[in-house]
Amino acid sequence: MSSYSKAAQQWATFARAWYLLDARMQPPGKIAEISSIRLQGKHKPVYHALSDLGDHVVIINTRHIAFSGNKWEQKVYSSHTGYPGGFKQVTAAELHQKAPTAIVKLAIYGMLPKNLHRRTMMQRLHLFADDVIPEEIRKNLVEQLPQPRRVPKRLDEYTQEEIDAFPRVWNPPKDFRWR
Amino acid sequence: MAAPQLLCTGWRRLVTGFLWGGWAKPPFRGLRQVVEITEGNTTTIEGKILEDVETPIPPNPSGQCPICRWNLKHKYTYEDVLLLSQFIRSDGGLLPRRITGLCLKEHKKIAVCVQMAQRAGLLPNHKPPLPEEVRKNNKPRLNRYLTRYSIRSVQPIWNKGHKWCKVPMPVSHPILKDNINYGSKPLRFNH
Repeated sequence: MSSYSKAAQQWATFARAWYLLDARMQPPGKIAEISSIRLQGKHKPVYHALSDLGDHVVIINTRHIAFSGNKWEQKVYSSHTGYPGGFKQVTAAELHQKAPTAIVKLAIYGMLPKNLHRRTMMQRLHLFADDVIPEEIRKNLVEQLPQPRRVPKRLDEYTQEEIDAFPRVWNPPKDFRWR
Repeated sequence: MAAPQLLCTGWRRLVTGFLWGGWAKPPFRGLRQVVEITEGNTTTIEGKILEDVETPIPPNPSGQCPICRWNLKHKYTYEDVLLLSQFIRSDGGLLPRRITGLCLKEHKKIAVCVQMAQRAGLLPNHKPPLPEEVRKNNKPRLNRYLTRYSIRSVQPIWNKGHKWCKVPMPVSHPILKDNINYGSKPLRFNH
């Protein structure tokens, strides 16, 4: 017999948690993948499509997302204003310069189910271009989600001991001069 | 009148021979690094003789190229900057194959990996000396990785094509398709 009442159990089950995700050097598709699961509530064992169980997701540093390949130049975001000749196309780099949260927002919006809950779930998504969060959102945060992509180390981030410990794979010939 | 001129030409030949090889190379006395120190009006040019770094015995000493000797074939990507930085100059250029002794296949792979590492910004100090206005132009860099083509050469894909034959956006380079993959999904290049 549990020590708390059934009402408290109900409240605890359907309470909304707030998750934080750092988007620095992360691809937008992988951010959308894990945050759409949280927004729909699919990580919960009591998930049901009609019970509206989604959690809040706060994504910071969307200005510093990373694209693989040449997608900054090749990927195109299309829209139509509704007027004749109002078909607009911008590349990912141009869109990112204009609105640093737009690419992540569109990626998540496209990964959510296409039903009437989609706009509701998008309202539980909070995007910030930098790492400054308003206080009323910061105090709700429960857990930081792990980053989906492992960020490789730059050469100047290695310490001198690590560089020295790495074995020299080849030695230059005797008469070679370094530049 | 003639003596200072003679001295001057002799000095110039010595300096050019020392710095740029010239037509008549002086006899070689070991690996050297030229250090130039300027203090006020005096400039000191010093040639330091470097000793070879002691290398441990590789696991496969009978291999033909350094990569095979260390059993690294198909095991390195653009992230292994400690390995890649051994094959490049201080300005980021790749060392020629006759000096590194790499086989052609591995040389091409190293070239591709170095290029991708540079585009991902993993080798920030290996850059050619840039003019001032380029260095001061600090626009926000777009983060990218596994970038195969140079940034200026690609065009936006305005029309993706039909659903059943979409134009792919290539990621990474197909030369690396035999690399060992420890993930659960196979490597995809979209070529």
